[in-house]
Amino acid sequence: MALLEVRGLVKHFLGVTAVDRVDLVVEPGELVSLIGPNGSGKTTLFNCITGYLAADDGRALFRGRDLTKAAPHRVARLGVARTFQQVSVFPRLSVLDNLLVFLQQHQEEHLLARLLRTRRVRRLEAEAVARARRMLDLVGLTARADAAAGSLSYGQRKLLAFAGALMPDPDLLLLDEPAAAVNPTMINQMKEHILGLHRQGKTVLLVEHNMDVVMDISQRVVVLDHGQKIAEGSPEAIRRDPRVIEAYFGR
Amino acid sequence: MRRAATLVLAAAVVAAPWLVAVVVPRQQRYLLHVLIFTALFATLALSYDLVVGHVGSLSLAHPAFFGVGAYAAAILATRAHWPFLADLLAAALAAAVVAALVGVPLFRLTEHAFAVGTLGLALVAGIVANNWVEVTRGPLCITGIPKPVLGLPGGPMVAITTLPGYYWLALAALVAVALLYRRLTTFRLGRAFHAVRDNEPLAGAAGIDPLRYRMLAFTIGAALAGVGALYVHYLSVMCPEEMTVALTVNLLVIVFLGGVGSLRGVLLGAVLFTALPEVLRLAPTWRLVIYGALLLLVVVRSPEGIESLLRRVSGARAGR
Repeated sequence: MALLEVRGLVKHFLGVTAVDRVDLVVEPGELVSLIGPNGSGKTTLFNCITGYLAADDGRALFRGRDLTKAAPHRVARLGVARTFQQVSVFPRLSVLDNLLVFLQQHQEEHLLARLLRTRRVRRLEAEAVARARRMLDLVGLTARADAAAGSLSYGQRKLLAFAGALMPDPDLLLLDEPAAAVNPTMINQMKEHILGLHRQGKTVLLVEHNMDVVMDISQRVVVLDHGQKIAEGSPEAIRRDPRVIEAYFGR
Repeated sequence: MRRAATLVLAAAVVAAPWLVAVVVPRQQRYLLHVLIFTALFATLALSYDLVVGHVGSLSLAHPAFFGVGAYAAAILATRAHWPFLADLLAAALAAAVVAALVGVPLFRLTEHAFAVGTLGLALVAGIVANNWVEVTRGPLCITGIPKPVLGLPGGPMVAITTLPGYYWLALAALVAVALLYRRLTTFRLGRAFHAVRDNEPLAGAAGIDPLRYRMLAFTIGAALAGVGALYVHYLSVMCPEEMTVALTVNLLVIVFLGGVGSLRGVLLGAVLFTALPEVLRLAPTWRLVIYGALLLLVVVRSPEGIESLLRRVSGARAGR
C-alpha cells in the first residue's frame, strides 16, 4: 500500500481553484519533490493533507486512513510531520522546550498523570530530553539549548523547526521550502539532512523552489501549475519536459 | 542568601497579623482588611492569569465565574445551610460547569471576537444577578452569610471569626492556588499551554489539540475563581456590583502590570495594585490621578510588567 495517496483533491478559494483534481502517490521510503511556480497550489495541497484546510473534494489517505476530515493534531499523531514555509517556532519557549513539545504529545500520557508527574511521566520526559539533545546535536544548536527560540537567527530557527518535525520519529515528513531564504552553506546542510533521512528509510515529500536542491536529491518530481498536476517523473525527465519549461518561463 | 531572604519573607507574610499589631496597633483592623483583600485578589488574579497569561486568550469573563461561585456559596450557605467547605467546593464546581458549557462556543471565536464574546458573558451574568430576584435577591443583595467554619462533620470544628483568622484562611487559599498554578504552568502541561499561546498552527503540527488545552485552562481558571466563595463569607454579603467590569479592570491591571504569565509577577501585581490605592488615600484629592499616572508610567517604562523590570535590574546587578 502507498504511504500517502492523494486522489482527485480539489480546493477552491473565492472562485479560484487553488488545487484542481490532483492525484499524488508517495511510496514508503521515497523522496519526492513538489515544484511549481508561485501560486501553483503546492502549499495549499500540503495544508489540505495535514488538516489545516478542508478539501472541497477528493481525499488524502495516509496508510489508507482518510486525512481530509482530521484536525491537524490528529494528522500529526498518525505519524505525519510537517514544517511551515514561514519559519515557525514557539518564540517564548526555550530551544530545548521547542523540541520537547513535539514529542510529548505522542507519548499520550493521561492529563492527570501529567499534573501529578507520576514516575512514568518523569521517565517519558527523561527519554524526550535525551532525544531532544541528540536532535540539537544533529542540527548544531546544542549551545543554544536554553535560549528563547525567538532569539535565534532565521536559519537557526529553520533548523530548529526541522528538528522539531523529526522529534516524534514521523513516518512521513512534509517539508515546505526548507532551503528558502537561507545562505548557501545552510542550503547544503539542509540537503545533507534530508538525504540522511532518506538513507534511514524515511519518506519525504518536499516543496522547494531551489531547483539545484530538487534536482540533486529527489527520486521523483511532481510539477503543479495553476493547481493542476502537469508533469511527473525523474529529475532528468522533468528538466527536459516542455510543459514544465513553459510553466516556468512562459511560451 | 536568596533562600534566606525568601524564608524571611515567608515568615513575615505568615506573621503579618502580629507584625501589624506590634508596629501599627491603631491601624490594625484596617491594615488586616487590606491584607485579606490582597490575598483574595492575588488568588483571583492567578486563576485569571491561567487563561490570559498561559494560553494567551484575552478572556473578560472572569467576573461571571467569580459571581457564579460567590452566589452559589452565598445561596447554599444562607438558604440550605451547607457547611463552609461544602459550599466552597460547590462554588468552584458551579463556576467550572458554566465555563465548560460556554467555553466551546466562545473558543470558536478568535482573538478580539473572543474578548468581546467573553465580555458579553460577563455583562449577561451581571444582568442576571441584578434581575433574577427570586434567586439572587437582585440589588437587595444576599445578606447574613455566616462566618466560615472549618472541619469535617463529626470532627472538631473551628469557626473563623477574627480578622487574623480570615487572613490565614485567605493566605492558605492563596498558597494552595499558587502551588496548583505552578504545577499547571511548568513541565509538560505548561509547555503545551505555552505552545498553544505562542503559535497555534505549529502546536497543531506538534500533535497538541489547542481547543483542549484552552478549555482546560479556562475551566480550571473558572473553578479557582470560585474563591468568590471565600470573599462573600468574609464580607457576609453578596451584591451584583461585585461582579461588574470593574473587577476585570482590576484583574487586568494586576496581571498585565505585575507580569503576565509569571507567578511572581502576578503576586507582585496583586500586592502593589491592592495596596497602592490604599496608600494613596493619604492624598485623597489626587488619589486617582496619581494612581493613573503610575499605571501609565509602568506601561511606558516596562510594558511587560514590573516583574520583568525587576528581572532586568537583578540581571544587571549579577553582571550580565
